[in-house]
Amino acid sequence: MEMLSLIFTIFFLVLAPRTQADASIPHKFANSNHTNNWAVLVDTSRFWFNYRHVANVLSIYRSVKRLGIPDSQIILMIADDMACNPRNPRPATVFNNANQHINVYGDDVEVDYRGYEVTVENFVRLLTGRLPPGTPRSKQLLSDEGSNILIYLTGHGGDGFLKFQDSEEITNQEMSDALEQMWQKQRYHEVFFIIDTCQAASMYERFYSPNILAVGSSLVGEDSLSHHVDPAIGVYIIDRYTFYALEFLESIKPNSDRTVAEFLKVCPKSVCISTVGVRTDLYKRNPEEVPITDFFGSVRPIEVIKEIIQVRLPDIPKAATENESHSTKKYVYVPPFINFSDDIKQY
Amino acid sequence: MVLASFLFLFCIVPAITYKKEEFTEELLIKPLYAEQLYAHFQFTTKWHTDIKKDTFSHSRLFPRALGEILKEYSLLELHISLTSGLWRYEQWGYPVYDAAPGAEVWAWFQDGTESLDEKWKLLSNRLSGLFCASINFVDRSNSISPEFSFRPRGVVENVTINNSYVRYASLPRELVCTENLTPWKKLLPCDTRHGLASLLNSEYIHNTRYHSLGIHFRQTCSDSTCTIPALELQQTISLVYDYKILGTKDWSFRKLFGQGFYQKCALADRSDIFVDTISASSKYFELEQLPDEVITSFRGGYTSTFAKYTLKDNYLSLSTKKGNTEIVPLQIPPYIHANQYLIGYGQEKGGIVTKIYNNFWKHLDVILLQNIPWYVPIYLHTLKIVANGRDIQPFALRYIPGKQREKPYYLEVLLRLPPQSTTTISVDFDYIFLKWQEYPPDANHGFYIGSAIISAYLPLARNFTGLPQDGGTIRDSFNASRNGYLVQVRTESLVITLPTPDFSMPYNVICLACTVVALAFGPLHNITTRKLVLKPMKKLGLLDRLKKLLHKEKAEAKEK
Repeated sequence: MEMLSLIFTIFFLVLAPRTQADASIPHKFANSNHTNNWAVLVDTSRFWFNYRHVANVLSIYRSVKRLGIPDSQIILMIADDMACNPRNPRPATVFNNANQHINVYGDDVEVDYRGYEVTVENFVRLLTGRLPPGTPRSKQLLSDEGSNILIYLTGHGGDGFLKFQDSEEITNQEMSDALEQMWQKQRYHEVFFIIDTCQAASMYERFYSPNILAVGSSLVGEDSLSHHVDPAIGVYIIDRYTFYALEFLESIKPNSDRTVAEFLKVCPKSVCISTVGVRTDLYKRNPEEVPITDFFGSVRPIEVIKEIIQVRLPDIPKAATENESHSTKKYVYVPPFINFSDDIKQY
Repeated sequence: MVLASFLFLFCIVPAITYKKEEFTEELLIKPLYAEQLYAHFQFTTKWHTDIKKDTFSHSRLFPRALGEILKEYSLLELHISLTSGLWRYEQWGYPVYDAAPGAEVWAWFQDGTESLDEKWKLLSNRLSGLFCASINFVDRSNSISPEFSFRPRGVVENVTINNSYVRYASLPRELVCTENLTPWKKLLPCDTRHGLASLLNSEYIHNTRYHSLGIHFRQTCSDSTCTIPALELQQTISLVYDYKILGTKDWSFRKLFGQGFYQKCALADRSDIFVDTISASSKYFELEQLPDEVITSFRGGYTSTFAKYTLKDNYLSLSTKKGNTEIVPLQIPPYIHANQYLIGYGQEKGGIVTKIYNNFWKHLDVILLQNIPWYVPIYLHTLKIVANGRDIQPFALRYIPGKQREKPYYLEVLLRLPPQSTTTISVDFDYIFLKWQEYPPDANHGFYIGSAIISAYLPLARNFTGLPQDGGTIRDSFNASRNGYLVQVRTESLVITLPTPDFSMPYNVICLACTVVALAFGPLHNITTRKLVLKPMKKLGLLDRLKKLLHKEKAEAKEK
């Protein structure tokens, strides 16, 4: 039986050193203690006139995907379909700009929660991991104590709440408790919480769990404003804060050494009109030393090994006893349509 | 000895583990009379293995993500469609696969599967994750087990059909966009940059009158004797382009798909493009590229000619040049087509009418299937079937009344339609209130009732493009004359406005109540807390009055 235990030898090929200069890892990455990256991106607004919120969330989605977080580790929640909305003159596109510079919807988007699935309950369940049985993997936040999580919310907010689809709301206390539960369950290492709503700062003011860096597009009492109208679609196309955030993120490459502190300054009051609020007291590290790719990318130091590694394959279960030879049963096609006269017992 | 055993295993293991798999990709282009162009992509993977015995852990071409689901929920057949737009049967004829607007799922479980409702619910959850669609809203409350309409499309061991193993549900509200196309493309064995899948660019395929994604899994025969089963997975995309959206009647790959074709899929056994050149509906264009082969297909009394292009590893882009535009093809409606609409007014009672047209010169047997949501309670006694102005009796009828929040209304009517007739099937329903929490965020948009399905077995293949039951590719449909041709016509889905409460009412009530209380409280408080004392008035004499007047004048003078 020893013969069945099969041993494969796998050789790790090391790439030629000529690519090393381009792919060199900035020194700051070594400081990071996280092992994986997740992103939870939520648009809570339904209806066509909230097009800009979908453009907001897709802008961030585009950036994190471009910087290397795989789709399986991005949970994207979109409350309404703008791309294939009958009112969209160019189907399957969502632009960040009236000049149609960037199609933030892209050609390979994967939305995990959409339409009526975007509810407060589903959002809190997703964060805390208390999901009903049978939830597919793509709808789960399978993070651990080594995960850096980017949480981005956009929608209509007020002092102390964020509305979901105009029918319910999550309060800042509920949000804080959900994050505390995540911390207690060791579901994150660090959280970067970004919220682009009116009175956004009210959503993070009650946070009390460690290792959270929070930024909101406006202070309590302030409105968060949209950037510009696209006359072709007839509505505001993107919000100011996210517009400038995307502009900044477009300049980032997976190996660039821009820091989170630079990201916190993307939208000064002169362009944002609202005051961007930042909360750093729960966050241990100095934002000036944290690379932006700690949250927006999935870049980690990798050690290349050159030795031969022996991997033992699990025993392949042998196909069930091959008794096909003496199977005499015959498979048949069922007539696709019943014969009324023969097959029906009339009542 | 060790080396020998290694060699032995390397030779034997693949032979045991990997069963033969075949992959074909095809594209059918067919002009639909004067205004539209139909493009149908068909990707078929055939795996020579037994669904009951295989563990689904090793496959070369078959998508493992789907295979695991099929195994876990003991499925025999699975059909999913995600569609945007309505197929216009009357003008376009029949598609390769019929699909209702929104999402549609139907599945056959293997005989002897236990706790089916639970498995169906878990399956819908898994499918929603796989296709980024809200299929997870499928559960017992909107699924039915039709007795006649959905028969297994593939092969079975046991000819007696037990319809308790089939489930059907539709979600007419479901929107279809790139997020559904992306996971669909990931199930294909070749990268999206190779093969026919490279033509599927989201911006182009969503700018159409109708687009439908499909997944059809079934069991077929591995050989001609059919003692060994095989698995077959068909992935389809149907697109209907409108010349008005394209801006021209001279179509080309660049206009339809944004690009031509560069590289074939190396894993495909066959990659072909078929263009329907001479059939009843397409007489006015000429292809600029010379076809590799011209196929004449005689099927069910009708002849069509296809230009066949085999994909190679070099650039290919088909285009047409102006044909004789003065020839307008005669539009012949198909034998069976149908409509569905609402009747009635007010917010109390309404009715659903299904109108079926039989354009055949003989009577036709059809099955009408309706899956009506539980919030639309229908009344069977109001069912009325009128054909050409005369009441007719259904051949047979199956009806399971719905139960609020638990199961839908299931109605299946077997009808023998008179020749050249229009048959109207109507049933009345009540509008009901839902519970406050059950209204969706956009309750005023309305509530959907799914399409009715009219199944018929047509004796002739006019306007028919479907695949024969024993074939899984478009090539199999050439010269495939059979006893009949199954069509399952989908009607329009309906939107009704349920009586929707004013959700700001609680707020208004509070405001109003507070105002009323405030207004009532003031006077009541005054009345109840003040003591009214009656002061007797003494009647004054003339002298006293004069004295008082004088006294008053004096006081005024003093003030001044």
